[in-house]
Amino acid sequence: MRARELAIASSVALMVLLLAYVIELGGLGPLAPHTIRDLAKSYLEYAYNPWNATVSSMALEAVTAIVWDYRGLDTYFETSVLFVAIIGVAALYRGYREMRGLGGAGLSEIVKTSTRVLVPLILVAGASIAIHGHLTPGGGFQGGSFMAVLMVLLAVVFSLDYAFERGLSSRKLLAIRSAGLIGILLTSLALLVAGAVAGVYAYVFQNMVRESSELSMPRWIFDRPLGGTLFFFNVFESLAVVSGLTLTFIVLALRREEVDHALAAGEWYE
Amino acid sequence: MSDYISLMFTVVILSLVANIGIALYGIFTKPSLIKKFIALTIFSDSINSFAIAIGFRRVAGSYPSVAVLADVPGSPEELQHFYATSVDPLPQALVLTAIVIGLAVYMFLAGLITLYYKHYGTTRVDVVRGGSRG
Repeated sequence: MRARELAIASSVALMVLLLAYVIELGGLGPLAPHTIRDLAKSYLEYAYNPWNATVSSMALEAVTAIVWDYRGLDTYFETSVLFVAIIGVAALYRGYREMRGLGGAGLSEIVKTSTRVLVPLILVAGASIAIHGHLTPGGGFQGGSFMAVLMVLLAVVFSLDYAFERGLSSRKLLAIRSAGLIGILLTSLALLVAGAVAGVYAYVFQNMVRESSELSMPRWIFDRPLGGTLFFFNVFESLAVVSGLTLTFIVLALRREEVDHALAAGEWYE
Repeated sequence: MSDYISLMFTVVILSLVANIGIALYGIFTKPSLIKKFIALTIFSDSINSFAIAIGFRRVAGSYPSVAVLADVPGSPEELQHFYATSVDPLPQALVLTAIVIGLAVYMFLAGLITLYYKHYGTTRVDVVRGGSRG
């Protein structure tokens, strides 16, 4: 046992040394260079570029422009992976029941009061990160996980019983999660459908005017840039993430009485 | 001054590599699944920070800006100034994807580990042999 651990430790140390040597030799290119790659430069140049609108996504934030416009299909499948993982967790605990009255009054009154103060702050900050995803750093996923922290806080501080009594249930959360994913799908197909109706060319995941397609999502809302599809993607994604993460947390936090049936099913499969 | 910055940057990169090594050691040798899980999250966080650090750049006489336009640019010249001083946004976008996929994997793993604990009453892998139940 001792020799095994020693072998692992020395091989890991060797890996660290060799990796450090390769990086020091310049294996990843110069670190902290004064110039950036041409690819990065083109993303930065075209993220918001009204003088070159056929390649622009008209969003002030370059990362959101990459995530939801230039690599939109990627991000759609990434969201699907998250969805499948949530389904997987629910399937691991198949047959669980949400029960009330199992006891558990939550934490002390001091914690509850301070949480009540925090709740609106977290909600507003999370929603702002999500809704302003195309203007400031952040986006749908970041805002959604921010708000999911709020739900986890509520379930821990006020107990799961309280959450269930207030109408939180995994069935509802899964419905919101699916609605978010369907919203993303509809947004990505919106211009394609509009193009089919109007009889002109359009693309899946099309955001702004492209060569050979005149259709475009709205660029401005009042006097603010809207970024076309990016705003809708961020809103739907934050809905999907907040409900999905809350659902997972509830399933993971279930009490023994509630998962007995699931455990018995596991017994039966052997 | 420039040499000092280079040195500090190298130190940061090397400590991230060392962090990756320590996390791998934890995954291999710790018997408790929860500790393996924590080591795995440290492992992926180190790699993500590493990827972000690769996208960093230096701007002479100033700090680089984040990849966000603060105002709507009024002319192509303002835009030129932006991409002359901003960091690389591509690693950030890729790391965002990696974080989401990682989160999906962790949620599933956490579900499995919790189920394991509810089955056996422990999260250690070395005390459960041959499917006996505690």
